[in-house]
Amino acid sequence: MSTANTNRQYIIRILFLVGAAILLAKTAQIQLVDNSYRDKAQTAAINKFVLYPSRGLVYDRNEVLMTYNQPIYELMATYKLIDPKMDTLAFCDILDINKEEFDKRLNKKWGRRYSKNVPFSFIRRLSAESYGRLQESLHEFPGFYVQKRNIRGYRDSIASHTLGYISEVNPSQIENNNIYSPGDYIGKDGLEAFYEEEIRGKKGLKYQLKDNVGRIVGDYKDGSLNQNAISGKDLKISIDTKLQKYGEQLMVNKLGSIVAIEPSSGEILTMISAPTYDPNKLSISRERGELFKKLLDDPLNPFFNRAVSAEYPPGSLFKPIVGLIAMQEKVWDFNRFVPCSGAYWNVDRFLGCHDHPSAYNMGKAIQYSCNSYFCETFKSIIDKEGYHNPNRGLDLFNSYLYEFGLGRTLDIDFQPEKGGNIPTTKYYDKIYRGRKWRSPTIVSVGIGQGEIQLTTLQMANLAAIIANRGSYYTPHLVKEYLNDDTPIDDKYTTPKKVSIDSIHFEKVIQGMAKVTVEGTANWSHITDIPICGKTGTAQNPHGKDHSIFFAFAPRENPQIAIAVYVENAGDGGAFAAPIASLMIEKYLKEQIRTANRQYMEDYILRSNLIPKTL
Amino acid sequence: MLWPISKGLVLLLRTEIGLDSVYNIYYRAANNNLYKLARRNTAGIGGLDWVSFSLYLSLVGVGWLMIYTVGYGDGYTEQGLDFILRTSAGKQALMIGVSLIMFFLVTVVEWKFWRTVAFIIYGLTMAALLLVLLFGSTIKGATSWFHLPGGFSLQPSEFAKFGTALAMAAYLSSYAVDLNNWQSRLNAIGILLLPMGLIMLQPDAGSALIFVSFFLVMFREGMPVAPYIIGLSLFILFLSTMLLGINYTILWVLMLLTFFLVSNLRKVNLYYFLAFAVWLAAMIAALQNDFALYAFIASGVLLTGLCVYHWLNRNPRLGIATLSGALISVGVVLSVNYAFKNILKPHQQDRLNVWLNPQKCDPQGSLYNVLQSKLAIGSGGLNGKGFLQGTLTKLNFVPEQSTDFIFCTIGEEQGFLGSLAIILLYTFFIFRFTVLAERQRNDFSRMYIYGIAGILFVHFFINIGMTMGLVPIIGIPLPFISYGGSSLLAFTIMVAIVMKLDSHRYSI
Repeated sequence: MSTANTNRQYIIRILFLVGAAILLAKTAQIQLVDNSYRDKAQTAAINKFVLYPSRGLVYDRNEVLMTYNQPIYELMATYKLIDPKMDTLAFCDILDINKEEFDKRLNKKWGRRYSKNVPFSFIRRLSAESYGRLQESLHEFPGFYVQKRNIRGYRDSIASHTLGYISEVNPSQIENNNIYSPGDYIGKDGLEAFYEEEIRGKKGLKYQLKDNVGRIVGDYKDGSLNQNAISGKDLKISIDTKLQKYGEQLMVNKLGSIVAIEPSSGEILTMISAPTYDPNKLSISRERGELFKKLLDDPLNPFFNRAVSAEYPPGSLFKPIVGLIAMQEKVWDFNRFVPCSGAYWNVDRFLGCHDHPSAYNMGKAIQYSCNSYFCETFKSIIDKEGYHNPNRGLDLFNSYLYEFGLGRTLDIDFQPEKGGNIPTTKYYDKIYRGRKWRSPTIVSVGIGQGEIQLTTLQMANLAAIIANRGSYYTPHLVKEYLNDDTPIDDKYTTPKKVSIDSIHFEKVIQGMAKVTVEGTANWSHITDIPICGKTGTAQNPHGKDHSIFFAFAPRENPQIAIAVYVENAGDGGAFAAPIASLMIEKYLKEQIRTANRQYMEDYILRSNLIPKTL
Repeated sequence: MLWPISKGLVLLLRTEIGLDSVYNIYYRAANNNLYKLARRNTAGIGGLDWVSFSLYLSLVGVGWLMIYTVGYGDGYTEQGLDFILRTSAGKQALMIGVSLIMFFLVTVVEWKFWRTVAFIIYGLTMAALLLVLLFGSTIKGATSWFHLPGGFSLQPSEFAKFGTALAMAAYLSSYAVDLNNWQSRLNAIGILLLPMGLIMLQPDAGSALIFVSFFLVMFREGMPVAPYIIGLSLFILFLSTMLLGINYTILWVLMLLTFFLVSNLRKVNLYYFLAFAVWLAAMIAALQNDFALYAFIASGVLLTGLCVYHWLNRNPRLGIATLSGALISVGVVLSVNYAFKNILKPHQQDRLNVWLNPQKCDPQGSLYNVLQSKLAIGSGGLNGKGFLQGTLTKLNFVPEQSTDFIFCTIGEEQGFLGSLAIILLYTFFIFRFTVLAERQRNDFSRMYIYGIAGILFVHFFINIGMTMGLVPIIGIPLPFISYGGSSLLAFTIMVAIVMKLDSHRYSI
């Protein structure tokens, strides 16, 4: 019948094929070309939860808890989700804030740090009452939710410089390290920062499927992608809580630092910088910002860690070291006598000394801290290769100092650590600019004055080296990880040795043993604890001299090596030595036992040595 | 002993009921050579077109797997009868069984039967459409379902397509009918407008739209081309108004007609076209600088001038036709714009906007469904997430996952390769139908097969297209794949008759 229209079958077929081609093209576009659908589908159906690990705890050497985790409730807000018509007044009422504060907290500077789509911390730490009240009515305020987080708590509010603190990561840290995301906490100072990698643990991830109204319906891919959070390693550190606490009490109203080391292991028993601050007040809270600012503006600079970052001239502390080097180099004999007329004269140099009995050997010179004696001793080292070659002598002298861990950082497990300063031949060549410099020019170095600078930690380490008769372990704070078998870095467990024979140490110790008995620190004598120490007094052009003392005790089988530096406190025997002796007695005997020692303790506690000008 | 009985039974069936195919089954068993001969002449079940039959089976099989995976999220804990009666996969399996039985029942029915009863079936389905308006249940605002005992339900509009296909083929193939006269054209169009109107009353515009596919049969059978071109032009004008806005649509219509007239001038040379290009650039510039009215007046005057010139000098009919074309087009554009803004209800505007201007829609509101559907398909990528591994389609993100939006599951779980396979299966299937149709010696068979091919194509294109935002969302199933007994059964019957007719292509 309609054979005339057979050609139309081709039009129909073309129509079918074109239809199919259009569908195929669209499918290819959605499924192959445009990847945005896949990304959006991920976020639509899959909720990614980050599981926060618990941060490693910190215990002291006797496994007394020092730093722990404390749950807080943080109120988070997502700007875009907040209902503009919400009952702001009721909300403010619950939170105990006023309308202005609400607006201030809500309207951030949108940009790199804050995004309108990303939750930000509205109130860092809700009080328990606010949290309780809010829980009941939180559903009325879309866009807000409460997040439980762990912050740090510090049991005795001690050792703040050592333990450090945590705070939120800053944008550059996030960019450098993809482990962190905005709002995460990171160790900012002290051990929290140095051992960040060990104690932060590993975040876990949980992928959950949600349906079209956002209900969680189960694990994505049956949980095969989920990862549990791994808790951080717990640190057992070498600090002795009791000693640290006692030392901090002694240093109240003083500027300075104390470092005590166990000579047999290099473990730091105490590290004190005064003035200090209360670490608990610096933990995450509403008032943190203000407190932080107040501490930063404090002229006494409480954030400055005087134990490892302050570089002080060691003063007479340095004399035993000079003596040791001279004896080892055989340029000096222990029994050599140097007359002292109350000052040291050489060419155009004049160095005063104080009134003391004759130093007929090095032991006596240490006991009475004779400047003239050690100027000569030092000169003999510098002039070993001849008076006109002081550079060789100084290089030789410095090579020993480096062995003692001076002039460069000790590389302990703590930041920031300063290395002090040792003047080198290069340095003198530069400042004298081609003019000749000879041993008398630099002789003040021999008595620890001038360009030479040490940190308190280095001084304590010197005491430990002498206590060990020439060997030492690199000082360190972490003894072990409590919930992990990983050993600590082996550089803290390999002994180091200075190339000075132990016989010379015995001779020097003989002198140091007399210092507290009938020497410059005789007030600090303890009858049943033989303390070997050395006082130092660093001249201070701005005020009273700095009082310095380093010591170890007991003389045989030493348990503690200590260095004390008290700024503006007078001579070494006045404050530094008594404080050190109290610390030693406290550590070895657990208490201060006799009445006159208790009087000394009371006197120290009462003293306020902070200059009035500050 | 058994043999005479069976032979007697077959004879009885054949003579009394006219079940020709059973005779062929008998012959196939009894005498192979004779069977081959019979197949060549009066092919019965053995003469089925195995290509399209296996395509049919593949589509049904794939469909069942997809329905199984959509329901998988709920966990198939039921066993045995409970599984069959309580889960969609079980129900669908049951319906597939019923459909296959129906398929073979259809193939044993004498092929001429369908032509004979075409108008009766048409009348019955129209009656069902009427009854459903009175007694049907209303689901989602449309009164289109009969609820049957046992939790099953029936959608008469699915069967109305079948009835209309039969009636259309029967009408067009009758001797008195000639598409060259108006009476026949109008009658043919009336055959499809009746069910369309009844279904519009439910109201179910989507299902009603399917009946437009019968214009395909009429086209093949000699309907003049002009109405198709006019329809297409109106559609293009509508799309352009919605997509480009009134100004640019009027501009390109006027420019196109101007170009047409310019190229029909007596002495055409390159300068005319250069002048036209400059003119076009000037008009676009005017439009972009908010001088639309001046641009329209200028181009209108030019076009009218050209029309008058043609009218007076060269070809009066061309001039008048172009001028009236321009006026009608402008009228259509303006009325489309007016109708969209003032006559359509907001939800209807939304639906058109979702299709044509998705950037204007709220992703959480009107755009949500099609967005989720596209997300699900797009998330499949090249290889898909794997069988039973789809997430968006399982978690209620996609609406009507097992029925109208089943293609999302294919796209998400089987990826582009799966989508490609399904689209190709359908294309082969429908294309095969055109081959079957053209090899018929019988007009009724050819027209019926084209009718079915048209229905399948419209379903296929609209259903898959809407899941990807190509077509507005219209609630119609993907034949053989979507969950739903009525649809599967109705399409099975339609396809079974196609194959039955084809197997008798040598008979007249």
